[in-house]
Amino acid sequence: MGRYIIRRFLQAIPLLLLISIAMFLLLHALPGGPEAVLFNPHLSAAGRAALRARFGLDDSVPIQYIKWLGRSLTGDFGFSFATNEPVMTVIGRRFPATLELFSVALVVALVLAIVIGVVSALRQSSATDYVLMTLSYFGISMPIFLFGLFAQDIFGVQLHWLPVSGTQTLGYQLAPIDAFVDHLEHLIMPMSVLAISYIAGWSRYMRSSMIEVVHQDYMRTARAKGVSSTSLIFRHALRNAVIPLITVVAIDFGAVAGGAAITEGVFAWPGMGSLFIDELTRRDYPVLLGMLIISAVFVIFFNLLADILYAVMDPRIRYS
Amino acid sequence: MDISEDINARQVTPNEEIEPFLELTPELAQKRRSQTRIIFDRFVRNKAAIVGAIGLIFLFTMCFLGPTLTGHNDPNQQNVSSVSATLASASWQHPFGTDNVGRDVLARVMAGGQVSLLVGLTSMLMAIILGVGIGAFAGYYGGIIDNVLMRFTDIILSVPIYLLLFVLSASFTDGTPKSIIILIAVFGWTYAARLVRSEFLTLKEREFVLAARTIGVKNFRMMFRHILPNALGPIIVNATLLVSNNIILESVLSYFGFGIKPPDSSWGNLVYDGQGLFDVDPKLVFIPGLMIFFTVLCLNLVGDGLRDALDPYMTER
Repeated sequence: MGRYIIRRFLQAIPLLLLISIAMFLLLHALPGGPEAVLFNPHLSAAGRAALRARFGLDDSVPIQYIKWLGRSLTGDFGFSFATNEPVMTVIGRRFPATLELFSVALVVALVLAIVIGVVSALRQSSATDYVLMTLSYFGISMPIFLFGLFAQDIFGVQLHWLPVSGTQTLGYQLAPIDAFVDHLEHLIMPMSVLAISYIAGWSRYMRSSMIEVVHQDYMRTARAKGVSSTSLIFRHALRNAVIPLITVVAIDFGAVAGGAAITEGVFAWPGMGSLFIDELTRRDYPVLLGMLIISAVFVIFFNLLADILYAVMDPRIRYS
Repeated sequence: MDISEDINARQVTPNEEIEPFLELTPELAQKRRSQTRIIFDRFVRNKAAIVGAIGLIFLFTMCFLGPTLTGHNDPNQQNVSSVSATLASASWQHPFGTDNVGRDVLARVMAGGQVSLLVGLTSMLMAIILGVGIGAFAGYYGGIIDNVLMRFTDIILSVPIYLLLFVLSASFTDGTPKSIIILIAVFGWTYAARLVRSEFLTLKEREFVLAARTIGVKNFRMMFRHILPNALGPIIVNATLLVSNNIILESVLSYFGFGIKPPDSSWGNLVYDGQGLFDVDPKLVFIPGLMIFFTVLCLNLVGDGLRDALDPYMTER
C-alpha cells in the first residue's frame, strides 16, 4: 500500500515539472512577451531596466526557467498589475469563498447523486427511473450559465425569494445570526446551480455502477443466505457501487481552483473564478498565470488522491 | 448415398408417417444486411435517438435554410424608427420580437445558429483528426512515442479547460469564428486521442494485424487502412458528443465576452448581448439559450443512440 502511494507520487512529479515548463513557455508565448506579462504597464524606463535585471530577462531561456521555477516554488508569482499586491495575497483572499461554494455544492451533489442513482437503479425501467434519468439528461445538456440565469430570473426576479448575487446584502449591519442567515440565502442559489450540474452526471454514473453491482453473483448469494433488503443495499451493494463514483468526485473536486468560474461569474460570487474573469479583462497576467499554475497543481494533487482513495477502497487495485 | 436420395426415396413410400421437411423458404430467410445497415436499424429502433435526429435536422434546416425560406434574412437591420419597433413582443412579422435597436430576434438567432453550429462541427472535425492521429501513433508504436504523447495529453488535461481557454482566447483570438474554431480544436482532441490509443492497443494484438504484416503491409497503411476502420465505433460516438461539448464551450466563451465578438453573432454572443437587458426583456437571453440547450440535447440523444447501436455486446431487442 505504501509502495503504491510512493509510486503514484513519483509519477506525479515529472508531470508537475512538465506543466511548469508548459506554463513558462506560455509566459513567453503570450503577445508582448514576458515584458507584457511581468512588467506593470505603468513602469518608467528605469524601472523596466531594473526589473529586467531582477527577472533575468537578458539571460538565456533555460536559466530564466530555473530562476522562474525557483520563484514559483517559494510562492512568489510576482505582483498584480492592478493592485500591486503579491499575487498569492490576491488569490488567497478569494480562496475561502470558492472553497465554501465548491465544498458545500459537491457534498450536497454527492449525497443527492447517490440517492438518485440508487433509487433509479433499484427501480430500473419504472416511471421513477425514467423521470429521474430524463431530468438528469436535461441537466447534462443545459449549459451552466443558462441554468444560473434561469434560476436568477425565477427565484430572484420573479418570485423575490432569494438574492441574485454577492455573498451578503450590502449596506446593513446585521446581528451575527441574521448575518449568517443572510449569507446562507446568498449561498443557496449558486450552490444549487453548481450542485445540479454535477448531480446530472454523477447520478447516471451511480445508477449504472449500482445496476452492475446488483447483478453480481455475490448479491444473489447474500440474498439466498437471508440478508435483509436494507442490509443488502447499504452494506453489500452500495459499498461496492460507490467506489468508482468517489474517485470521479475526487477528480472533479480537483477543479476547485477556478472550476466554478462560470457560476461565480453569473452570481457575482467573490471567489477565485470570478477573480480570474475580472483579471482577464484587465490583462493582469501575473495573477492569471499564478492561478493557472495553482489550479494545475490542485488537479494533479486530487487526481493522485483519487488514485490512492481507489486503492484504499478496492483492494484489487493495490495488488495489480 | 447422399441425403437427398434418401429423402426422395422416403417420400415415394406412400403409407409411412414422415416428418415434414423444414425447408428454408424465402419467407424464413433473413435478408443479408451490411454492417452499416444493421447499425442503422438498431439506431432507428431507439425512439429517443430518432427524436434527437429529427431535432437536429430541424435545427440545421432552420438555421441554414430558414433565412431564405422565411424572409428573416437580415440580422443586422436596425429599426429605430419608433419606440414600439424596439423590444417588441412576438408578432407575425417578428415571431420572436425585436431587440433594443429593432433587430429581428429570429433573424439573429438563425444567423447565430449558423455560426454556432459551424464552429461546433468544424472544431470537432479538426479535433477528431488531431486526436485520431495522435492516438493512432501512440497506440500503434507504443514505447517512448506513446509515453511522450500521453505526457503531452496529460499536461493539457491538468489545467481546467475553461481557465486555459479564457486566457488564450483573450490573448490570441480576435473574435472571428475561425480563431475560435482553431482554439477549441487545439484543446479538444485529448479524449479522442486516449480513446483511439486504447482501441489501438487492443486491436494491435489481433490476428488480422499479424496476417497483414505477414503479407508486407507497411506501418502507415496498417494503422489507417486496417486497424482504424475497426476502431471507428467509439470515435463516431465521441465525435457526436464532442460537437455538443464544443458548442457549449464556444457559448461560454462568448457569454463572458471572450469568444465570438460582434459583428459576428453566435448564440453565446446573443446571450451576452441580451444580458444587459435581462430585467427588461428576459426572452432576449432565454431564446438563444434555449436554442443551445435544444441543440446539445439532440446531439446527446443522437450520440447515446449511436453508442447503443454500435455496441457489439448489446443483444438484439
